[in-house]
Amino acid sequence: MKRYGMVIDLKKCVGCNACTVACKSEHNTPGGILFTSVLDKEMGKFPDVIRVFVPILCNHCEQPSCADVCPSKATYRREDGIVMIDYDLCMGCAACVEHCPYHARDLVGDPRTVLMHEGRERVFERPVHRRIPERVAAKCDFCFFRVERGEEPACAALCPTGARIFGDLNDPNSAASMVIRELSGWTLLPEKGTEPRVYYVGQ
Amino acid sequence: MQRDHSHIIQGQDVWVPTVCGGCYNACGILVHRVGGKVVEAKGDPNAPNSLGRICAKGLARPLDLYTTKRVLRPMKRTNPVKGLGEDPRWQEISWDEALDTIVARLDRIRKDDPRKLIISHFDIPGYKISTAFARAFGTNNFHWNRACYCGSASHPVWLITNGTLNSEVDFERCRYIILWGTQLGHMVNTIALSASSELATARREGAKLVVVDPFCSVAASKADEWVPVKPGTDGALALAMLHVLVSELGIFDAAFIRDRTNGPYLIGPDGRYVRDPASRKPLIMDLSDRVAKPFDAAGLAQPAIEGEYTVGGTQCKPSFQLLKDHIAAIDLEEMARVCTIPLAQIRRITRDFGEAASIGATIDIGGHTLPLRPAGIDYKRGAAAHRGGFNSCWAIHLLNMLVGAVDVPGGQRGVNPLGPTWQPGVSDDGLIIPSDIITKYNKPYPGSTVAVPTTLDLHELFPASLFTRGLYPWGIDEPEKFGITYRPEAMIHGRTNLMLNSHDGRAMAETLKKIDFQVSIGLVADETTELADIMLPDAHDFERWDMFPVNDPYAFVAPGMGSWYWLMRQAVVEPAGEAKPWTEIYIEIARRLGILEDLYEVGNTLFGLGAQHKLEKGRDYSVREIAERQAKTMFGESWSFDRIKETSAAITRDKTLEEAFPKAFLKSRAPIYLEYLLDHKDKVAATVDKLGLEWDLLPYSPVPLWIPCEAHEPDAEYDLIATNSKLPTHQFSITSENLWIDEIASKNPYSYNIMVHTSTAQKRGLVTGDTVCVQSRYGEYRGQLKVTELVHPETVMCCGSFGHRARGMPISQKKGVSHNELLPPPCLKRIDTLSGQIDMCVAVKISKA
Repeated sequence: MKRYGMVIDLKKCVGCNACTVACKSEHNTPGGILFTSVLDKEMGKFPDVIRVFVPILCNHCEQPSCADVCPSKATYRREDGIVMIDYDLCMGCAACVEHCPYHARDLVGDPRTVLMHEGRERVFERPVHRRIPERVAAKCDFCFFRVERGEEPACAALCPTGARIFGDLNDPNSAASMVIRELSGWTLLPEKGTEPRVYYVGQ
Repeated sequence: MQRDHSHIIQGQDVWVPTVCGGCYNACGILVHRVGGKVVEAKGDPNAPNSLGRICAKGLARPLDLYTTKRVLRPMKRTNPVKGLGEDPRWQEISWDEALDTIVARLDRIRKDDPRKLIISHFDIPGYKISTAFARAFGTNNFHWNRACYCGSASHPVWLITNGTLNSEVDFERCRYIILWGTQLGHMVNTIALSASSELATARREGAKLVVVDPFCSVAASKADEWVPVKPGTDGALALAMLHVLVSELGIFDAAFIRDRTNGPYLIGPDGRYVRDPASRKPLIMDLSDRVAKPFDAAGLAQPAIEGEYTVGGTQCKPSFQLLKDHIAAIDLEEMARVCTIPLAQIRRITRDFGEAASIGATIDIGGHTLPLRPAGIDYKRGAAAHRGGFNSCWAIHLLNMLVGAVDVPGGQRGVNPLGPTWQPGVSDDGLIIPSDIITKYNKPYPGSTVAVPTTLDLHELFPASLFTRGLYPWGIDEPEKFGITYRPEAMIHGRTNLMLNSHDGRAMAETLKKIDFQVSIGLVADETTELADIMLPDAHDFERWDMFPVNDPYAFVAPGMGSWYWLMRQAVVEPAGEAKPWTEIYIEIARRLGILEDLYEVGNTLFGLGAQHKLEKGRDYSVREIAERQAKTMFGESWSFDRIKETSAAITRDKTLEEAFPKAFLKSRAPIYLEYLLDHKDKVAATVDKLGLEWDLLPYSPVPLWIPCEAHEPDAEYDLIATNSKLPTHQFSITSENLWIDEIASKNPYSYNIMVHTSTAQKRGLVTGDTVCVQSRYGEYRGQLKVTELVHPETVMCCGSFGHRARGMPISQKKGVSHNELLPPPCLKRIDTLSGQIDMCVAVKISKA
């Protein structure tokens, strides 16, 4: 059985946000909704200061607290580890949005995409694998439809510096597994007990 | 045009290979078209400059096709009043009416004095069309564009040493990389995708990265060490480093200086070469027999680079000795005080750099043993865009030169000085001269003839520059001062927003108002278009073919090993509405003016067309047809664009070792002492004297000097220095009307905000979120403040070129600020009189608005 995950090399990431736009393009997410983005935080005091770029997305946790709190069982975990939201079942109660320790979920209000900021006029519409309806929770789905046809998620496929590596974490020889092992991968908020499947190395 | 569209790849659901226009980098991409509409873009896996990767700008590019404010029909101004913020009150007109009006006016101007037309376009592959049009028309006034952003002061340094226009670092082998006022390799600057990928791998594998910048930019954040230099003092820091390197540590590559530079050339008391009386060749002292010999003499056994000699009764020194003496005399403590970097840090970085260069080391590649110098410095606008820009860049580059880390494995390198059909030349003095293919403008060395200007960019007063495009406003505003006898009357403008990219918009509006008739070609009506009389709808880069190749090798083919690849831009969809590619518009205007044959004549040379593929009189060619002729010239008669269905790139062959690392192979030398500047200095002095012009001849120094900026003058009121930085998500204002890019920039605290250091804010009672006003003596901007540790405390920082106010740009309106608003039009104390570079830093004060 596969268990999909991702490792992000913070040494390589330059915070260019190609992943952010790749995701917007791939999913045609509504205005204001980003399934992945890059945290840009300053750390330190001048002149010993840097900005730290941390790409964030759904962690596709082994123990997803979002699924635990979902009253309609709309959030579920596939056998391959991808945490999904069934939009037909989602009632938009936002319990998951509040419970996700990583703030990886958004409640979609206006589902229209690529709108002019004032006229709310649609300028662009991309055919996507599935439309995001009104008043549902939405988040990264690891581009499962790409993965099913043997491709990487859009963010990993396009990353200019190769900072995002997607793969089967059950396969010790996958590039992702090897990077996590060799560079001592770590996860965000391990104390939450969610067992994220998005790892980080570097920094 | 019509016939070109029959060549668009057909299908309901297809991926069309083409070239991105989201910046100048010309990355090969695939564009997905479904049911006649573009729906997405991705990197072309077969294009060597993208390998399937793509950046945020490229991914978002499809949106610009469908933006609601896109202009789709020609328009004419109905409001006769022109000025900042004045509504043109556009009225849609037919193409025929638009072209008839334009042609009638241009025809009159051409018969009167063709120089009265200015061509103002920024589009690298299309330059050849606008240049051919300008020459056919008879005007020298072309390419007025965002020169102040470019490396007017850094390009000449690379041209005279690397023999090419652009610079990079061999990230694959370099172990100590200094990026100085540039973010090369961080999805900013040239060769973005491959450089960023290579540098990411280098960082992962332990290469040390040092970034010199007043702002903790993306690059500085990824660096092992950020060196927060005070804006504009890069030259002082570089001179301090030269002193530490040569005078304190005694590190220099004597063999490189002796064999690959003019370091051994003997210099007399007048600062000029001591020449062989018969051949006029510069002399070198041969220590083996103590005889001075021409630099290329066969029997030259042991050239001296140090010491003092008497030749033919003249006291002289090798130029390296002169440079060494000059470096020894640098006041290290004063330079450190000026640039605000602690002396201990300067010493440590210099030592690390000098030791990392591993002078004497070699590497075996492809059966050859080459020098290995795994230390290199790249530099651009941050270091260059200052009054002493050329001298600062020269001082920085001497750090590369003196350790021999130039165009050899591991070091700084020029971008493709040598290629399949070009190679640099050699001057009579044995120094490198870039090829014509690489330098289409002036060659800073040997340089051009000095004259009383007849061109509005005043380049005749800048013989050792590359170009002086930023100076057009000066020539337009004060022609009589420079002896220019005519006044501009018309301008065709596009893809360069002069109102925002130069200086204070009020001043620029006054300058533009002096040009009575203006035609603007664009996707949307920007601030410059708002001053135009006629606007013509341009095609998006997904709607046009372009000249071939789109990636000029002077900057857009990755240097070093790899392959020679040539990219083709092809239309993915037909132009929206009545839009036409701007290049086709120029050809159509030429046709109607009756100068098409002149354009062909110029073009046959300029476009590099082979004998079989020359443009013939009496025939009409589209841009696609011209491009196909360019490609056939390169690849042979059987080649056809119709074969390009799978990839945007044609790969011809792998590069040779000589092409990748030319310094080890070329016969020419590079200068470390700029003797040639002395003649130029004399000639400029005589010409400005004739014109009665006050001028600054200080930059014409054979050895690098510290030349402060206006902003460094003590000023109790305007006590901070403003400058700006580039973002990986934005390029010029190409990206500012893009919803996706805007969404990201809006969420990022370091994109649209004005930034000052915590201590600077505290002193003025300012906090994050305040609306503040930043004022110079010339202009101001207002925006939201972000208090941060990421900027030099004496600095006011902003990013990009934002602050749009045009009616036709609703997404970007009132987002961010434009640093350029703080600058005055070009003037003597704010330009580098050697390179024509405009000083971008300016003294400001900041207060709550």
